[in-house]
Amino acid sequence: MVVPGLEVPVDYIPQQVDVLNVIDEAPGVKILALTAPQGKMTFVAGQFVQISVFGYGEAPFTICSSPSQSDSFDICVSAVGRVSNALHRLKPGDRVGVRGPLGHGFPLEQVLGRDLFFVAGGTGMACLRSVIADCRENLSDYGRLIIANGVKTPAKRLFAADLQLWHDDVRTELHETVDTPDASWQGRVGVVPDIIKDVDFDPHNTVAFVVGPPVVFRFAAQNFLNKGVEEKDIYFSLERRFQCGVGKCGHCQVNDLYVCQNGPVFSYSELKSRSEAVEATLPDN
Amino acid sequence: MQPQKHILAFDDLPILLRQWLRSKAVIGPLARQDQPGFYYFDWIDPADADVERLAERLASGYVTTTIPPKKAFFPTRETLFNFAAAGPVVPKNEEHQEPFLLIGVHPCDLAALSLLDTAYAHPPADGPWRKRRSPATVVGIDCLPDQYCFCTSMETSGSRDACDLFLTPITSGFLAEIYSEKGKDLLRGIRTEPAQPRDIQEGEEFLHKKEAAITLSLQAGSEEFAEILDTVDLTEVWEQTAQRCYSCGSCNTTCPTCFCFDVEDTLDTNLTSGRRYRSWGSCQLLEFTLLAGGANTRGERRQRVAHRWYRKFLYLYKQFGHSFCTGCGRCSRACTADINIVDVSNDLIKRAKEKR
Ligand SMILES: Cc1cc2nc3c(=O)[nH]c(=O)nc-3n(C[C@H](O)[C@H](O)[C@H](O)COP(=O)(O)OP(=O)(O)OC[C@H]3O[C@@H](n4cnc5c(N)ncnc54)[C@H](O)[C@@H]3O)c2cc1C
Ligand code: SF4
Ligand code: SF4
Ligand code: FES
Repeated sequence: MVVPGLEVPVDYIPQQVDVLNVIDEAPGVKILALTAPQGKMTFVAGQFVQISVFGYGEAPFTICSSPSQSDSFDICVSAVGRVSNALHRLKPGDRVGVRGPLGHGFPLEQVLGRDLFFVAGGTGMACLRSVIADCRENLSDYGRLIIANGVKTPAKRLFAADLQLWHDDVRTELHETVDTPDASWQGRVGVVPDIIKDVDFDPHNTVAFVVGPPVVFRFAAQNFLNKGVEEKDIYFSLERRFQCGVGKCGHCQVNDLYVCQNGPVFSYSELKSRSEAVEATLPDN
Repeated sequence: MQPQKHILAFDDLPILLRQWLRSKAVIGPLARQDQPGFYYFDWIDPADADVERLAERLASGYVTTTIPPKKAFFPTRETLFNFAAAGPVVPKNEEHQEPFLLIGVHPCDLAALSLLDTAYAHPPADGPWRKRRSPATVVGIDCLPDQYCFCTSMETSGSRDACDLFLTPITSGFLAEIYSEKGKDLLRGIRTEPAQPRDIQEGEEFLHKKEAAITLSLQAGSEEFAEILDTVDLTEVWEQTAQRCYSCGSCNTTCPTCFCFDVEDTLDTNLTSGRRYRSWGSCQLLEFTLLAGGANTRGERRQRVAHRWYRKFLYLYKQFGHSFCTGCGRCSRACTADINIVDVSNDLIKRAKEKR
């Protein structure tokens, strides 16, 4: 099968776009609005872009704005290393490099009519915001939209305005939790996969989209399976350290799969027999 | 394609080499001055090329180079593009790629070039590889094995993949097999005779003698080996091998079919311009799969050792229908810990058979 556009060789040269806006979203997290390369960004929610800050390098970020918005797009960046810290120093008018959209996003076409259960752990909402926005714009295509968001502390909640919107809107069911509450927090305390246990839903008609650290994957998968959700209906978006983003450099390989090219979104049935999917160890030397 | 076969007189090869050097840039096997008996592929300077010695080397069967000829198309370090950090320009890498000639490639390395052609052409095709590879002309030459070679097990001993012209030294000169128009053009201006049946037979005998001289062999075919790796738990072999391995990455660096790479930016000292380059990667290094927060999906050495076998003999076999090993023996020659790929593979095969 030849995917349109893929027969064009990749030269790894990014296109340059402008930074339109920078928002301080949470401590250590900023949202950057960028102009679309060549004026238009067409993508599937869950796809990523390779963003370059020249001199610092390139790293993958999920597009976090809605696919219906096409003349610009947003990325939500946690400052953890070279590229992400360089991105945090940018101001409107600065320029960055973009390659993409790349990879395979969430398989929304295959889940029409189903109830959707989104689980975000840590900064996972950066990856789920786009797909939730897409679903909310096409409400008649889906059944229930259940959203579980779990962060360490209330200050680390991302997209507070969206959370408020989803909370207020009767068509989305938002469940939030924090690991460590502070004086401002009235809500639930605990880990996010536990929400799956407590929500009443029809396991046979539910499709799960999970984004978070490995521990969230493990327990979310377990809890969904215990409830009777099928393996093929539980989707994860995996993170690896990408270099090429197009299935060539080998860095993101999870057994025989390339996260950048075959994913980053995978179903649990694809991952469960692959030892490198959620197994990560601390170095032995 | 059935090649046309001609006989090229030994004395004509230096003349031909001079002709090639005049018309094109040429990469070929050169003798290492620092290490007699070792060879490396590099650009041959037409001004002071010792074509007589080069012709002799090609006729007598030089031993496999330490670093494979893939570097002609996939340099150890290559600029992807230049940039200006402060300004908006990202000029394309202006390095102009003249068509060049790669000569003296052994059959296993021809097979490796073809495997890399396949991997890098897999959509989306790798532009830098294609840019160098498609205008190039490749001349293969037959060889003599050493104690590390096991090309017969990988079915590459008689490979003519990826070559335009192939030479086998026989009594009456070189048996020259022409595989493309480009290959045919290389012989222009030299008088060659059509090969006679006994020349062709001698060429076949050369191959058979070479194959008979190979001492190592894998105890399973590619399909069976892939199936073993896919289905049998071989942890004890990975652990034992990992106890000897230093994770130095030499096995990757010398392998003609390894194609992973690292990408990095570097700034010039003026801090306003720089370039992004890629360089050969190594899955045996701990950093290769380092994740955010210092976690690592192959943080243990046995996982990295296992990955090398899985990738070459299972994953890429499943993806492309070929093992990504040609039996060149370079990884075994290079290994400071004396880890021989055939010994480990046969150990895996033996244990798997015991477990069944
Ligand atoms: C498909 C995909 C989508 C993603 N989407 C997002 C997103 O939307 N938002 C987001 O913020 N991130 C996202 N990421 C993660 C992001 O790409 C990584 O955090 C990336 O590494 C950041 O690049 P960097 O250059 O800033 O960090 P790097 O410099 O590469 O460092 C990244 C991490 O590695 C660790 N590290 C770096 N160097 C070392 C070292 N020498 N030793 C030990 N540890 C080290 C650091 O602890 C740091 O946490 C995504 C990743 C993928 C694969
Ligand atoms: S794995 Fe070893 S023997 Fe096989 S092609 Fe690579 S270097 Fe040669
Ligand atoms: S060359 Fe030998 S010691 Fe070095 S990484 Fe490879 S197997 Fe290990
Ligand atoms: S990032 Fe290079 S293969 Fe996936």
